[in-house]
Amino acid sequence: METEIAPRGGKTASVGKARSHARASVDVLLALSQSDLRLRYGRGPGRILRWLFEPFALVGIYLVLVTVVLGRGGHAAGLNLATSVVPFQLVMLSVTNAMNSIDARKPIILNMSFRRTLIPLSSVCTECASFISSFFLIFFMMAIYQVAPTPSLLWLAVVLPVNLAVAAGFAYGMALFAVWFRELWSFGLSFVRMLFFIGPGLVPLSQTQGTANALLKLNPLTGIFEAYRDVFYYGRAPAAWELLYPLGFAVVLLGIFVPIYHREQRQFAKII
Amino acid sequence: MVAAHDLGVHFLFDRQRRVVTPGTARLRRQGSEAWGLQNVTFAMKSGCGYALIGRSGSGKTTLLRLLASVLFPDAGSLEVRGRVASLLSTDAGLLAVLTGRENALHLGVLAGLSRPQSRAALEQVKERSKLGDYFERPVSSYSQGMRARLGLAVADEIDPQILLLDEVHEALDHEFRRVLEERAHEILAGGGIVVAAGHDHQMLSRLCERALWLEGGRLQAEGSIEEIRDAYLEATDRQERSGT
Repeated sequence: METEIAPRGGKTASVGKARSHARASVDVLLALSQSDLRLRYGRGPGRILRWLFEPFALVGIYLVLVTVVLGRGGHAAGLNLATSVVPFQLVMLSVTNAMNSIDARKPIILNMSFRRTLIPLSSVCTECASFISSFFLIFFMMAIYQVAPTPSLLWLAVVLPVNLAVAAGFAYGMALFAVWFRELWSFGLSFVRMLFFIGPGLVPLSQTQGTANALLKLNPLTGIFEAYRDVFYYGRAPAAWELLYPLGFAVVLLGIFVPIYHREQRQFAKII
Repeated sequence: MVAAHDLGVHFLFDRQRRVVTPGTARLRRQGSEAWGLQNVTFAMKSGCGYALIGRSGSGKTTLLRLLASVLFPDAGSLEVRGRVASLLSTDAGLLAVLTGRENALHLGVLAGLSRPQSRAALEQVKERSKLGDYFERPVSSYSQGMRARLGLAVADEIDPQILLLDEVHEALDHEFRRVLEERAHEILAGGGIVVAAGHDHQMLSRLCERALWLEGGRLQAEGSIEEIRDAYLEATDRQERSGT
């Protein structure tokens, strides 16, 4: 640990310090995610192919099954499904990565001090990089159903950060769950997976009514799924609640779990 | 400068004897607890090497992890002033699937360098580690000695003022032991501190003037390395004789 003597200079000095702290945090995040991506995709020209085809391997077959084999009714069923599966994959893979992250980084955690509080966030960054390729699935489905892109796609600049914030909130919470209840690891994952099925993943919210409709809206993923549908399928701006409710939920999760994670990371070298 | 006062680290166990965090212990019915270090007080002066001597399980690694901020004190206080480089295992934080170059870049940033700084230091790390073409190969293909060499070269990236070694030097070949010794003496000459734990007392004597003897997580004695080494070996002999 380096003991620093705080320089005099009031606000300017603290702004400069905060800026250099933020820059160092970004460097650590990039380093952790880069090594994570290297572990996953390897090196050489094949890694681009692996990156492109991974989403198809994960959920593509499911979409093909629903769209082509089962011939599920409804308008553009495959596209409707893709707009929920893709954002859900970001949440699910971030959670899985975060739950594994402490064991995966065991040699580093046991050897040196670094900003360990950033580990779950680096899981989200890693999955975000692989998540980008899963947009091809949505565009593929849009092509199949001949749904033309509209200017509403610009709303992605807002929808994506909300999706990332929710993924980060769940990543911190579930990383702690994996530390506290290692033997219940698979139950934790099932809980997050369950959120897809108790949300409008398979059926759009517009096709539900009454109590079911009201209850589905409580799921923080509902707003995100519907926002993706608005942007890609309906070609309109998402409703305010579709963005604000999940964002509020993410802020609450992060507000609760980041400080707890920060406290618990001091003990990681004892438990791994 | 390093100063510890009444330093303590405790481990909490659940009913299945697994180590748990205090957070987990609060959520579950607690099993038991044990102190890995207790009431340890010492001060380390700049420009001096310190050997940690003691049996396996005596608390040497726990103390080194505290100095490296890998662990944090549960009792007492610890003050460490200076840039710390740690080699607490032959793995030295290296990820087996990554190449030497990728590991050097990654660990340099985690140790506090910016990405451009870490990238700029890569050729120097390659040269210092003397790994040649192996620097571009995955670490999984390295011997223990090669890993330790890379670990040392990476640790050196941040120009450490405090170097922590946990038996790593024992995995090095003779040529690299000399390199390590030279580097350790450079750090000491620059007013830094070297703390090394291990069972190779000859090597420790070349690196350190002073020693701390740990026994059961407590500081048994502190003094010159010759004095402490002789006292420790005598006590070990005595124990072995009384045990047989």
